[in-house]
Amino acid sequence: MLRNLFLFAAATAAVPAFAQADPSVSLASDVMVERTTVGPDGRTQVSLEEPSTVVPGDKLVFVLRYRNNGRQPAADFVVTNPLPAAVAFQGSNDGSAQLSVDGGRSWGAIGDLMVTEGDGTRRAARMEDVTHVRWTFAQPIPAGEAGRLMFRGVVR
Amino acid sequence: MTSKLTFPISCSAAAIAFAMASPALAGGTLAGSSITNTATINYNVGGVAQPAVNDSETFVVDRRIDLTVAEQGTSTTVVVPGQSNAVTAFTLTNTANAVLDFNLAATQTVGGTASHGGTDNFDVTGVTIYRDVNNNGTFESATDVAVTFIDELGIDASVPLLVVANIPAGRATGDVANIRLTATAREGGVAATLGAALTQTTGANTAGMDTVFGDAAGVADAARDAAHSDDDDYTVQTATLTLDKRSRIVSDPFNGTTNPKFIPGATVEYCISIANAAGGASASNIVITDVLPTTLTFVAGSILLNGTVTGSTCNADGTAGGSFASGTVSGTLASVAAGATRTLVFRATVN
Repeated sequence: MLRNLFLFAAATAAVPAFAQADPSVSLASDVMVERTTVGPDGRTQVSLEEPSTVVPGDKLVFVLRYRNNGRQPAADFVVTNPLPAAVAFQGSNDGSAQLSVDGGRSWGAIGDLMVTEGDGTRRAARMEDVTHVRWTFAQPIPAGEAGRLMFRGVVR
Repeated sequence: MTSKLTFPISCSAAAIAFAMASPALAGGTLAGSSITNTATINYNVGGVAQPAVNDSETFVVDRRIDLTVAEQGTSTTVVVPGQSNAVTAFTLTNTANAVLDFNLAATQTVGGTASHGGTDNFDVTGVTIYRDVNNNGTFESATDVAVTFIDELGIDASVPLLVVANIPAGRATGDVANIRLTATAREGGVAATLGAALTQTTGANTAGMDTVFGDAAGVADAARDAAHSDDDDYTVQTATLTLDKRSRIVSDPFNGTTNPKFIPGATVEYCISIANAAGGASASNIVITDVLPTTLTFVAGSILLNGTVTGSTCNADGTAGGSFASGTVSGTLASVAAGATRTLVFRATVN
């Protein structure tokens, strides 16, 4: 029932009257490149830069900023990020993210997931198998509340 | 509850992303391609599902120039003096994330330690680079194609290369000639033409595709110079033969074989030994001729070939062969290995 309701909502998202109901949650997705440089004193320094020069093997940090700008709590709050095909997942900064290695059909921690190879054999999933990452909030996001989610990837 | 809600989220898009996921390659994502990351929020307000909120960020993958030149195998190419078309084999691999041309140069080093440990002390001649078309590591002039550059080499593609050269005559065992193959990445894009030299994007980054040199240092080039090099070498191995001839009296008509004397009618055995120095190459088809003095008469059928020597004594262990004509004894040793000694033995009587 809930599922049907959701589908209806998604299908009619373009209808202006409906969209005005509560256009109050904002989301900003940013990608930064993590660079490690060794200074003259031999100490390594890690900096985050805009992704203007990116080559395969570069480490990326994805930052998702959300905010509830509305006057009511946002419940059943789920942030989903399918990984671009050219990015290999490298982990999220907190343990709360759920992962999927089958295109979002099933979710869990990396240790609980299995991958079926082309020849039918199954093996434990690895970080680079991750296709989707999501955060499911148990508690509603109160009005005015903001937060930040992060995960890492590497350019394939 | 939440899982029911979130299950349908962008399911079709997810399936596409999954199908496109591929294992990481050395070359990696194609230069110039865009990576777009899209995040989605789904939520309810007052029990009513709200329109999904999306945000995307796109960036362009830049061009990383990377290549490898590596010798095939781990040993020197053993050659003999005067050999033509002696081969050293290399592999060029494009590990950049773009299709590129590669300029090739085969050079010779002067002195110094060669690829496999010896000291370079001579140069080969007629050095030519060939594309090993059938990838068998062997030079075939009818098949392999002489090249000065490799055209439009794909991402993660390799091409086998042969450096073919002639070995001057007169070189000795242990002489070494070092060969260095250097490949320099050039712009790709135009077939059958060597592209322009590459330049790194300097100064401020651009939003479009930049060029970054990411190659490692080769044996004779620096890191991040869009070039890579490796060495291989030729080592001469030839046969160094020494000849020794000995004689002994076998018998005389009066004393028989007991303390025979060198008198007319006595039988003399000659032993010609061929020693091939250790550490060189095996020698083959060694033709031995010996002109008998007129004071001796050849004993028909007495030639023994391929016998051995113990100390300085010739053993009577050869096999019959050879020939005698016009006063000359002759025989051919099929092969004498390095470090071995083989003999030709024959008998004659004193006139």
